[in-house]
Amino acid sequence: MQRKPGKPDGFLLAAVLFLVVFGLVVLYSMSAYNGQVRFHDAAFYFKKQLFAMVLGLAVMYGISSLDYHILMRFAVPAYLVSLVLSGAVLLFGDAYNGSRRWLSIGPLSFQPAEYAKPAVVLLMAGVVSQMDRKKSGRLIGAVLLMVLPVVGLVGTNNLSTAVIILGIAVIMIFISNPRYLPFLWILLMGTGFLGIFLSLEQYRLERLAIWRNPELYEKGYQTMQGLYAIGSGGLFGRGLGNSLQKLGFVPEAQNDMIFAVICEELGFFGALLLMLLFFLLLWRFMVIATHAPDLFGSLIAAGIMGHIAIQVILNIAVVTNTIPNTGITLPFISYGGTSVLFLLAEMGLALSVSRHCHYPGRG
Amino acid sequence: MQKTRPFHRRKVVVIFFGCAAALCGLGGRLGHLMVADSEYYAALAQDLHERERDIKAARGRILDRNGVVLADNRTVCTVSVIHSQIKEPERVIEVLAKELSLEEETVRKRVEKVSSIERVKKNVEKEIGDRIRNYNLAGVKVDEDYRRYYPYDDMASKVLGFTGSDNQGIIGLEVEYEEELSGEPGKILTLTDARGVELENTGESRLEPVAGNDLVISLDYNIQEYAQQAALKVMEQKQADSVSIIILNPMNGEIYAMTNVPEFNLNEPFTLLPGYSEKEGQDALNKMWRNGCINDTYEPGSTFKVITAAAGLEAGVVSLTDQFSCPGFKIVEDRRIRCARVSGHGGENFVQATQNSCNPVFIEVGLRLGVDRYFSYFEQFGLKNKTGIDLPGEAATIMHKKENVGQVELATISFGQSFQITPIQLATTVSSIINGGKRITPHFGVQVKENDGTLLKVFQYEEGKQIVSEETSETMRYLLEQVVDGGGGKNAYIEGYRIGGKTATSETLPRSANKYISSFLGFTPANEPKVLGLCIINNPQGVYYGGTIAAPVIREMFENILPYLGIEKTEETVTEVPG
Repeated sequence: MQRKPGKPDGFLLAAVLFLVVFGLVVLYSMSAYNGQVRFHDAAFYFKKQLFAMVLGLAVMYGISSLDYHILMRFAVPAYLVSLVLSGAVLLFGDAYNGSRRWLSIGPLSFQPAEYAKPAVVLLMAGVVSQMDRKKSGRLIGAVLLMVLPVVGLVGTNNLSTAVIILGIAVIMIFISNPRYLPFLWILLMGTGFLGIFLSLEQYRLERLAIWRNPELYEKGYQTMQGLYAIGSGGLFGRGLGNSLQKLGFVPEAQNDMIFAVICEELGFFGALLLMLLFFLLLWRFMVIATHAPDLFGSLIAAGIMGHIAIQVILNIAVVTNTIPNTGITLPFISYGGTSVLFLLAEMGLALSVSRHCHYPGRG
Repeated sequence: MQKTRPFHRRKVVVIFFGCAAALCGLGGRLGHLMVADSEYYAALAQDLHERERDIKAARGRILDRNGVVLADNRTVCTVSVIHSQIKEPERVIEVLAKELSLEEETVRKRVEKVSSIERVKKNVEKEIGDRIRNYNLAGVKVDEDYRRYYPYDDMASKVLGFTGSDNQGIIGLEVEYEEELSGEPGKILTLTDARGVELENTGESRLEPVAGNDLVISLDYNIQEYAQQAALKVMEQKQADSVSIIILNPMNGEIYAMTNVPEFNLNEPFTLLPGYSEKEGQDALNKMWRNGCINDTYEPGSTFKVITAAAGLEAGVVSLTDQFSCPGFKIVEDRRIRCARVSGHGGENFVQATQNSCNPVFIEVGLRLGVDRYFSYFEQFGLKNKTGIDLPGEAATIMHKKENVGQVELATISFGQSFQITPIQLATTVSSIINGGKRITPHFGVQVKENDGTLLKVFQYEEGKQIVSEETSETMRYLLEQVVDGGGGKNAYIEGYRIGGKTATSETLPRSANKYISSFLGFTPANEPKVLGLCIINNPQGVYYGGTIAAPVIREMFENILPYLGIEKTEETVTEVPG
């Protein structure tokens, strides 16, 4: 029973557009100093990000106008492509800051790990929604196995992103399965595994020690600088553009630690506002997921929700030193063209699903 | 394709609320950091961003008693370049090399070095600094600074002292009055980025420096100048190692002049004078900077007979009319102690014995006093303690322990040997004996004034103890006047002036080296002392008698400074014998 698609979710669209504009403004403020110092162009990062944003908005519009059911056919091939790309980057990638994460095509560079996230969402949604209802309980484990290759490939040089991909997959499986108890076990086992994983290597334990007392370690520098920035923001902040910590104190202020500098410039209320915006975004994904006409749509929206939620929560948790430091970017705000491009593509997906939503109260 | 079932929806909602809870938790954590801990982190961040630059405070000047500036400040400039602000590097290099007369290579290195700020040259004359500033070159900074400047180079170098690179006192009055002179340095607080580059438009907070206060000292430029010239002259004539002269007011302890030639140039205190070995490095500098008048002790010799006489008179064990007989030596226990005149002075009264500086007579007076009484006077006169002069590093008296003093030691002490005191201690003690009997504190510091001359503080020196009675003091003045009036100090006599004094010639240790210290201590007017002078000549060649070579130095000094001090000649030259 296919109904004629309606309008996309206005709330979600407004929130995304607001985030995009907000992200650009804040990024300009955060990156101007580094751009000036390194490239003698205060707008260096801004221009690249603007380009990605514009491209991303076009992609978002394109995808949102599609009927998302068409994508069912592309779920597996898209995933295979992500495997190929993730493998290729290990062989031909460009290193930056010591990690091979970029594939260059002419003047453009591209981070396959970012592409892998929506690819996994699509794959999981496609496979799970196609499964036989009766067997699905038992096949769940097998679905998780399908994702492991890309987790492994990405994890080779970008552990944080691999954890995000795995997290997305676990959330989607959790939703696909009616039971709760096994997931509790998974959670406990995951925690235990993490503990063993951390204690295997001395440097990971050191990271824990740094987390607990960042001021005592030289490697706690970035964390401390982030805390300085957050702490000096106070209730209302120094005002947009007035951060001092972005002037080389917080390394790469436009990247992972951008939230700290937002705190410094816009204060506690500004930071809460941004968190509220992400909350609204998650809320809309929930609404779309629960009102989607079929499981494929539901899982797409739920996967996207999981993706955004994991990144936002982990990023803020790292910046506030709530968990040990790991490199996770803040969606829409942190500098990164590939990230923004695929985030907007995902928004396009969610919008496309929202066009088919059926809201009982509204007829 | 599967439909979305209720449990799917429920689980989506579970995830959503899980995430919402996590976000709320992080919001709480953020609130804790940004509200509760805000001050802590903000203060740490402020520390990190602020750079403090000190602004030197102008150091207070040192003025002589008549307002002559002895230590002053000169404005000098520090020329620096700020790499990131330089627009025309070639022109900057060319101009700086020309104006600062530096090698182009040197300047180029500084200009092209990638650093936040690079100092090109310090202590640049203000004129040159102004000229460079007028070029208006971007990235060139000319900061004004103060540097201590001594207009009279080596004038009273060991008294005034000099300052170090931070304008802090190193020796002399510059150290002693550091607190008055130094002032409070100001601060410029600027915000910088992580590279240390100052941020524009963030405003700088400035804490203005408070200039130090002027110190007015009792030293008199003219008298000091005479003293230095006289000391230099006799040092050259006698090829002596060094010559010290102290001129002070015996009534209140104000020091008019204090010199130890050779003096050094205060504007170049680290340049060794000829005669000091480069190899010794800091030791040589310390020797050169030493103020012999207060930092070193010596055996005073016969000038110390003044103290023995005063003690004897005060105790009543001797009077001016007592008769003595000098055979040229005196036997104390198993020792035969010689008189300066081997043939002996024969029969003489105490006045004549003092004129003759007769050792056996003074030994007799010492023995009459006995060890206990002699030591109690020694202490009463203030000889055991330091004088309390306002200069750092005053040396203490080196004296026998009382329990180790037998008759022989007492005998030698009585004519000024076998123990050591500083020249300033001798001058102070004799001043106190002849001024009516009140112990004085020798000093330089008189007043503290603000730069505009407003009086801030007058130093108070406690009136000292009465160490001898007025009568004894008067007798001592008479006695010492007789020494100059036809006694061993006759070379200090000036027609028309009443001058008292005492000579000394002592052999330094080891006695075998045949090195001598010749000295003369004189004061005038003898009836009402206004000025006292002490001249000590270290290791003179040829004639070494204090009465022959040191007394004329004080005479010359007095001839020059008495009219200047307004001390008139008196017609009356004959005095009655007191008591």
